Amino acid sequence: MSILRRIANLFHRSKLHQEIEAELRSHIEMRTSDNIAAGMSPQEARRDALLRFGSRAAMKERVIAADAQMFLDSLWQDLCYGLRQLRRNPGFTAVAVLTLALGIGANTAIFSLLDGLVLRDLPVPHSEQLIHVAAEMPDDSDSGLSLPMFEEIARDQKVFSSMFAWQSEGVFNVEINGSLSRGDVWPIDGNFYSDLGAVPEMGRLIGPEDVDLNSDRPTPVAVLGYDFWRLHFGNDRSVVGKTIKIEEVPFTIIGVTRPGFTGMTADIPFEIAVPLTTEPLIEGHPDVQKHLQRRDGLWYDAVGRLKPGITLEQARAQLDTLWPAIRAATIPSSPEQHARFVALQIKLTPDSTGSSYIRGRFSTPLYVLFGISGLVLLIACVNLASLMLARATARSHEMGVRIALGASRWRLARQLLTESVLLSVVGAGAGLALAFWGSEFLSKFIFAETYIVPAALNLTPDLRILGFATAVAILTGILFGFAPALRASAEDPNSALQQSSRSVGRGTGRLGRTLILAQIALSLILLASAGLFARTLEKLHDVNPGFQVQGLIDADLYPNPGGYKNLNWASYDRELTDRIANLPGVESVGISHVSPGGGNTWSEQVTPKSSPQSSIKANCALAMPGFFQTMRIGLLRGRTFTWQDDEHAPHVALVSEHLAQLLFPRREAVGQLIDITTEPKWKDLQIVGVVGNASVYDIRLHAPLTVYLPSIQYGDYSGWSQLIVRTRIAPARMEPSIRQGVKALGHEYVPIIRTVGASINRSLLEERITAMLSTFFGALALLLAAIGLYGLMSYNVTRRTRELGIRLALGAQRGSVLRMILRETLALVLVGIVVGVPCALAATRLIAHMLFGVTPYDPVTLSAVAGALLAVGALAGYLPARRATKVDPMVALRHE
Amino acid sequence: MARNDLQGSLDLLALKTLSQMGELHGYGIVLHIQRASDELLSVEEGSLYPALHRMEQSGWIRSEWKLTDTNRKAKYYRLTPAGQKELRKAQESFEQLVKGVRAVLRYAQG
Repeated sequence: MSILRRIANLFHRSKLHQEIEAELRSHIEMRTSDNIAAGMSPQEARRDALLRFGSRAAMKERVIAADAQMFLDSLWQDLCYGLRQLRRNPGFTAVAVLTLALGIGANTAIFSLLDGLVLRDLPVPHSEQLIHVAAEMPDDSDSGLSLPMFEEIARDQKVFSSMFAWQSEGVFNVEINGSLSRGDVWPIDGNFYSDLGAVPEMGRLIGPEDVDLNSDRPTPVAVLGYDFWRLHFGNDRSVVGKTIKIEEVPFTIIGVTRPGFTGMTADIPFEIAVPLTTEPLIEGHPDVQKHLQRRDGLWYDAVGRLKPGITLEQARAQLDTLWPAIRAATIPSSPEQHARFVALQIKLTPDSTGSSYIRGRFSTPLYVLFGISGLVLLIACVNLASLMLARATARSHEMGVRIALGASRWRLARQLLTESVLLSVVGAGAGLALAFWGSEFLSKFIFAETYIVPAALNLTPDLRILGFATAVAILTGILFGFAPALRASAEDPNSALQQSSRSVGRGTGRLGRTLILAQIALSLILLASAGLFARTLEKLHDVNPGFQVQGLIDADLYPNPGGYKNLNWASYDRELTDRIANLPGVESVGISHVSPGGGNTWSEQVTPKSSPQSSIKANCALAMPGFFQTMRIGLLRGRTFTWQDDEHAPHVALVSEHLAQLLFPRREAVGQLIDITTEPKWKDLQIVGVVGNASVYDIRLHAPLTVYLPSIQYGDYSGWSQLIVRTRIAPARMEPSIRQGVKALGHEYVPIIRTVGASINRSLLEERITAMLSTFFGALALLLAAIGLYGLMSYNVTRRTRELGIRLALGAQRGSVLRMILRETLALVLVGIVVGVPCALAATRLIAHMLFGVTPYDPVTLSAVAGALLAVGALAGYLPARRATKVDPMVALRHE
Repeated sequence: MARNDLQGSLDLLALKTLSQMGELHGYGIVLHIQRASDELLSVEEGSLYPALHRMEQSGWIRSEWKLTDTNRKAKYYRLTPAGQKELRKAQESFEQLVKGVRAVLRYAQG
């Protein structure tokens, strides 16, 4: 009753107070009546009774304190004793703390990445009120709002206290203090900053007065993000009022935001914000109103703040009733767009975590890695449990004495549990440091490989992470302390006090063996997953993407400020292609809008004119003459694009072989007409050739359906393209001449140049990280299993010293003793493998969708992993086995 | 006897009282100790209830709210088997303490 009552007492102080109060009152009354019976007056009697007690309040507190003190007293005792024990065995403590630090650290690192990327809300007041509003195409191909739609919704809705809109950011040329650079520019509306609760660090922020949606003269003001300001202006606090140029348009800086403000994204940095009315100017469209009021583009994102008391369902209901009228009022007039837009539906989604490009790519791998790190922690716990078990047995003499002296078994168990929780708390402390460092490193790595502009994740340990680490630590401590604590409390003091080595550890063998088996099985699961991820990566590296990767360079083409104004695209691109093709060392050149192996895909609906009902979704790519030769994508029939396929020529297209087969199963595709139904101007395209299947976007896709269009036929898709070059010499040596060649023409420059091999590698980031980390965790698990196995076999040998001595005395060869021990070790590992294999097979099914080129039951991986475990087992068992052969039979027999 | 010295033996006296009187409330324990010691010992009531509470938490005594013979509600205490054991131990160690003190005092005189 004691512990529960004590804890209960700590929480029900008021009830305790009442009870004590009642008892004291009855005592005082009894004495008062006795006093009256002895002759005192009623007042005197009562005074006397009260006096004997002194202050009732103080008395009450003392009663309660006596209660808590006992509990805290013994707890403090346990802690001090535990600390002393740990200090006396520095070797054990070091191993235990290290094991725990690695296990808890790994777990916490992955969790903090998960938290920062997937779970954490935006650092914005009341982020749970933020609801994203968008119009969506039924086939998911497009979503967003046009500005007229946004205005109508904002005016008519009644469920949001406020709404704001923005256009997703673009990277533009920014001139600061005369030097050219690039920056992420966000066009936002007047409510953006105020609705997100942003506060200026300096100056003021863009407000409604700066964003007049009906004006033809937008206000060119800009607000800088804190990090961007630091990077470009140092600590210059007089930056307000200075001018920067975005794509040659001058903007006045009116303020700087506080650090940590990232708008509605979780990770993309918020470098420069401008009123969305200025965006047409930056893009080079002088007629601002015409551009803003365009009805046929869903370019704007909008978010509303739910009024207090309004639920998401109510908001959805109200907007559903408003939507048909709004859609009718803002629908584009051209018949093709009308047909498309009439199908738009309004969609509201909660947006408290903001948007993040990385999140989509990494949440599944992170969850899987979290599971894996959990397994590592479990293995660490099991390891420690068997270590603690062995130690508890060594301390059984001490335990026996304490029990004989009257300590309750519960007290002993609590002592051991305290020690293990102490160990885990220390381990968790070290682990937190490891976790912070590890997750910082990992996130920087991920971001560097993904984003052009420097970006970072907000990884400062918040309460959730600290709470998680603490909970894990305590649970771990209880978990691995449980087994030894149980054993200790079941100790029979008589046998413990007798020094007989025969009765020592009678039960340890079984429990210890079970723990090792569990460890081996868990390690098998972990290693199997790691092996599968590693093989997936290997297969991905080896896959044939349908074009030749070796010797291919991909250079980004960016415009000089004003470089795209009034440019004759066809002649410029032809000149550029010829110039680069003539550079020494270059074999061929092709410009395209696809970055090979880049990972992102762009798809459209393709419909053969002959059978309009069979519409197929296919990847779409814009390319220029020379692309297919440069990429070495084979031409199977017909021809590829030439410079004659310009905007005056008939509109043509190329299809990949797979697409040709699906669109025209019984006919020759060349000569057929197709429509790209999602883009109305791409109609009546004649197929002039069929090319080989090539995974130009994502190498994970095998023989993807692809339709190619000639870029030079479509002026408004020109610019911001990729220069694909096939070289005979090393790519690094080609870099300067390529850059110079582009620069010489005076319209574009090359900010980034890379080999296609490197691009593909970057696109495989998820698989690389998963393989890397799971292999690291697998190695960790293997190490832990080896330590555990070594510990167990070592302990066994010690325990059986007498038996071994007898064997040797009776003439057994030392070699046979060695083999015997090794056999036992390997038998143990084998049983663990047999138990682990079905578990591993069940577990790997869960990661099947992340694999490429291997099945979850891949026998090669499984047998390699089993082999590794056996090898490690043999190694771990060898040292104790050797010790067994060194037993001196004389000493052993005398050892009693 | 000075009040402070009584603190260590308060547990012993309370437990002995309960073992002899069966069931008693706090006030009754105070009165009994006073009477049984011929007024030599007087319990400081401020220390009694904390001690009783502590002993109850350790499982040596058990409490129950009952009506006194004057129909007043009071919290009655009773010894538990663990308390019996504790009483025996406390009595033994107290006897030893007294024997030891006496021996030292006699030694100094002799």
